[in-house]
Amino acid sequence: MGLAARRLDKRSYPAGAGAAFSRGDRSRFGRWFWTIDKTLLLLILALIAAGITAVAAASPAAARRLSGGNFRMDDLYFLYRQLMWVALGLPVMLGTSMLSIRNLKRLAVVGTLICLLSLILVPFIGGGANGAARWIQLPGFQFQPSEFFKPCFIIATAWLLSLKLEDGSLPTMQISAAVLAMALICLIAQPDVGQSALISVVWLSQATLAGLSLTIIGALAVTGVIGLVAAYFTLDHFAARIDKFITGSGDTFQIDKALDCFRAGGLMGTGPGEGRMKFRLPEAQTDYIFSVLGEEFGLIACALLAGLFLALVVRALLLAMEEDDPFIFLATSGLAIQFGLQATINMMVNLALLPSKGMTLPFISHGGSSFLAISLGAGMLLALTRCNPFLKGRPWAKGALAA
Amino acid sequence: MATIPGNDPLIRAIPAAAGERVTARSQARQRLAFIIMLFPVLALVILVRLIDLAVVQGIPKSSGPTISAAPPRGDILDRNGVELARTFEAYAITVMPRRLTSDPEVLATRLATILPERTREEILADLTSGKSFRYLARRVLPGQARRINELGEPAIELAREAERLYPNYALAAQALGYTDDKGHGLIGVEKAFDADLADPVKRATPLMLSLDVRVQQAMSHELAALVADQNAKGAAGVVMDVNSGEVLAMVSLPDFNPNVPGKRADGTVYTTANDDGSRFNRVTLGGYELGSTFKAFTIATALETGVLTNLQKQYDATRPLEVAGFRIRDDHAKNRWLTVPEIFIYSSNIGTARMALEVGRERQREYLDKLGFLKPAEFELKEKTKPQFPPLSNWGQLATMTISYGHGLTVSPLHLANGYATLVNGGFYRPPTILKRDAAAVPAGTRVFSEKTSAEMRRLLRLVVTNGTGRKADVPGYRVGGKTGTAEKIEGGRYVRGQNVVNFAAVFPVDAPRYVVVAMIDDPRGSKATYGFRTAGMVVAPAIHRIIERIAPPLGVLPDYNRDVNLAGLLPGGADVKE
Repeated sequence: MGLAARRLDKRSYPAGAGAAFSRGDRSRFGRWFWTIDKTLLLLILALIAAGITAVAAASPAAARRLSGGNFRMDDLYFLYRQLMWVALGLPVMLGTSMLSIRNLKRLAVVGTLICLLSLILVPFIGGGANGAARWIQLPGFQFQPSEFFKPCFIIATAWLLSLKLEDGSLPTMQISAAVLAMALICLIAQPDVGQSALISVVWLSQATLAGLSLTIIGALAVTGVIGLVAAYFTLDHFAARIDKFITGSGDTFQIDKALDCFRAGGLMGTGPGEGRMKFRLPEAQTDYIFSVLGEEFGLIACALLAGLFLALVVRALLLAMEEDDPFIFLATSGLAIQFGLQATINMMVNLALLPSKGMTLPFISHGGSSFLAISLGAGMLLALTRCNPFLKGRPWAKGALAA
Repeated sequence: MATIPGNDPLIRAIPAAAGERVTARSQARQRLAFIIMLFPVLALVILVRLIDLAVVQGIPKSSGPTISAAPPRGDILDRNGVELARTFEAYAITVMPRRLTSDPEVLATRLATILPERTREEILADLTSGKSFRYLARRVLPGQARRINELGEPAIELAREAERLYPNYALAAQALGYTDDKGHGLIGVEKAFDADLADPVKRATPLMLSLDVRVQQAMSHELAALVADQNAKGAAGVVMDVNSGEVLAMVSLPDFNPNVPGKRADGTVYTTANDDGSRFNRVTLGGYELGSTFKAFTIATALETGVLTNLQKQYDATRPLEVAGFRIRDDHAKNRWLTVPEIFIYSSNIGTARMALEVGRERQREYLDKLGFLKPAEFELKEKTKPQFPPLSNWGQLATMTISYGHGLTVSPLHLANGYATLVNGGFYRPPTILKRDAAAVPAGTRVFSEKTSAEMRRLLRLVVTNGTGRKADVPGYRVGGKTGTAEKIEGGRYVRGQNVVNFAAVFPVDAPRYVVVAMIDDPRGSKATYGFRTAGMVVAPAIHRIIERIAPPLGVLPDYNRDVNLAGLLPGGADVKE
């Protein structure tokens, strides 16, 4: 009966059958509470908590680096900002997680269109850093369309591809490929090769799951490699980073600082606030926050953080595995793969296993757009996994029922 | 509802029929299972890399690459163990301007507040130079280095470098010397003992000098006050232990701060145009005609060679002496016959010259040579003057006579101090040294004068202070003996009219001599304090008085008001002298 009770099935419960917070509680919150996947929720909350700790450690380094001659940034400026983003992001996540599947699709499609439009507008009204125009300045907030585009596009792609599963004659894969192409053109124009690669790989994964033939996957992979090579020869910004990574002897020096953090941290870390190498890091509060953790909290904490991401991704993918609904299957997989890949890329960049990408560590890095977008994605993931028709998806549950 | 696959080349059969949907679902699950397995593999890669960095590679060697330009170097101590030079680890702040990640304008402003010795514009010029490497600052203290580190600019490196610190600033600057940025000694002790100081084994033991900072400081202070009062060009001073040859003080003014050797005291950088000669060690490298202080050597030579058997022997000083068209005059002319003590206390050039003629050229040269005046001082420092004197072919009667009263021969003040030590210590020449000598390590020395000659010279020197030109040098109880000297300055091989080098060689306590004090002032201009006089007796003697007064107590010389040298019989007429 316990399993059955998790089903979101209005007909199972007569109105007013349960007291508040009991399983019979049919208020909006009660339904949400008893249907949400609490393992995922706890993993996400743990990551957010880890993120606050990490930003607290990275804040002095970033604040002192960014303080000007005439003004001095408070050491904990970025911590306060992060707390504010968490205060804004949690409601976004929880609110999104309460959406129905239908509303989720609507949100994703509208969001994809808005973000695509914004991406097209960025070169004209956007601002940027490190040789790239990536965001639009809103009051008190730098809106980075590519960050919000990712979860919306994943959901929209899942919807389009699931339609294809329902009716093979629909040209939905072409439509989503066209949207992807438009987004890629805008992103590469910024240029933001890292996000382009991430979005492409996630889309490719979803298409693969939707049944794209392996020869075409291979062909697309080759196209992607050719695209990267082309980017290398046409985008100075990108070429410089790749050169750095490959030659090693060149300008490897920002990444050397990051590696020094891990070396200095050792197994147990120097302790909170004891880090010295972190002050030499570029972008300590965003791209290189993993290095700050490495110095102050050590290898064990870094491994635990990587473990948290792994648990989140595997948990979400296993839930998707049990899913029969093609849309939920594709959407859940897409979001999980996005989180997993983004975290992997960021950590590998910090560890000099990949060339510098300018990508944030989900839930951990400081930043308005990235944190709110991640919250949105996490909310979507929770909403998707919440509605699981467990009994259909779970082989062992089936067996239990049959018995 | 089933559509025929194949109308879309991109999509493999995506069947909508129930059975085929199951096939599609299981295929999707297989693919997803493969993707799920990828993530633990990626996590494992990350874990291995973390272990590689944090455990295998471990702590980075230092906060930055060490610029080992200046290697560790031995400390230098004075005779009592006071630090004169030591090496500490400072920071060199370097920048790689091409790799700057922050705004140079902002960075320059912030660096300028941390590094007050550099202006914002200088720093900005470095930051925007486009060079691959620049020093922003050297010898930066740890506190400043920490603040610069916290700027977090990755293009700025902090490198540890060994730095030489001279905690007493300009004290004994020329004697100590300084090192270049590679850690090689350039002058002074740093140069003379460069190999020992840098030697990996020997540098563990500090180099102990014969200098005594208390004596050095007293002399340095008094001479600096005198230079200021007299508006003089400079000064030199030596204090030497007469029995061991150890140099306790070596002062050369103007001086400099060896911590910033490239800059003058006012902060401007040295150029050939504005070099004030502050790095020039006048005590060892300066060659001067020292004038009347030399007469003591002439008298001692006459005594030693038997020319003088009786100090009451008289010499004709009734009129100036004409030799080879050259006229020798007395400054304090008595125009009568003078006894030897009178010649000495009135500083009679005529009398001394006549005495030298009796001694003769050969014996004069012999004794000057024995005193070490014809060759660079036997001394450790590399900055030593080569004495200037006429070649033998040109050392005629005139040269013999002028050299007898200190003209026509240039030596360093160190030569003079060592000569006086030989004169009063019983007659033994010992090479002077800047290193501390244990009693056992004091060389026996070579005898130049007999004990008897030395004793007579001590009486005569005392007489100059009690009854002669050196009265202002006397310090009650300390039995000071000494002799004044004044000579015209030589610049570029010519005498400079109206510019004198005045000096005083003093010995105390003269009955049992322990220390020689030589002070020399370059071109004193006279002052209210000296009633406009520029002579040694008026200018230098009072300084000698103050110096001995200050250095005798720490050197353990006790005043004794009941002792003195027996001067009886030197001046039967009770002669007196006034300047």
